[in-house]
Amino acid sequence: MASNTLYILLCSGEHEKVQMAAMMASVAAVSERPVEVFVSMNAILAFEKNTPADKRYYGAAFSKLLKEKKAPDPLTLFRQGRELGDLKLWACSMALDVKGWELNKLEDGLFDDALGLTKFLSDAESGQFVTL
Amino acid sequence: MATRETIDARGAYCPGPLMELIAKLKLVQIGDEIEVLSSDKGSANDIPEWVKKVHHEMVGVTPQDGYWSIVVRKAK
Repeated sequence: MASNTLYILLCSGEHEKVQMAAMMASVAAVSERPVEVFVSMNAILAFEKNTPADKRYYGAAFSKLLKEKKAPDPLTLFRQGRELGDLKLWACSMALDVKGWELNKLEDGLFDDALGLTKFLSDAESGQFVTL
Repeated sequence: MATRETIDARGAYCPGPLMELIAKLKLVQIGDEIEVLSSDKGSANDIPEWVKKVHHEMVGVTPQDGYWSIVVRKAK
């Protein structure tokens, strides 16, 4: 049976939430479930190109643990989900506008394109919606 | 002739061992087996769940000394 699409609205830049979004997106995608992730607000900052790994994520107690234990990097998980499954990432066009960024300010090979919230919400009516 | 390859994913946290398994499954032939060595308890449960969902075959999950041996056969 075909799975319905998982839509993830990622707006927190907290390490723990970016990590959870990446885990959900990658595992669902490799489990033959289509996934679309819409990245906005502080979350977009975690995807800035050429940011050193130790500066990319901020968080609380669990962030420290994730770094100490060398948990899989969220960007690596998103990339694996894209390579091995049906995973799309969209950069919020409003967030890019506010930052004065173009898509090329974000890490290469992760985003399909910039997208407006209206289109994402419209598409998401047919699937399961999760906000982080 | 079917082969068996081993991935040593000990020390990797969820979903690292699963991702390594899936990447390797793409490269082998139907009937081949992959053994994943994982120290992550979640993966010992999650990998069989994933195998069931996407219709590969579980050969077995064997507890070892501080890790699990999880063997999967590529079925499609």
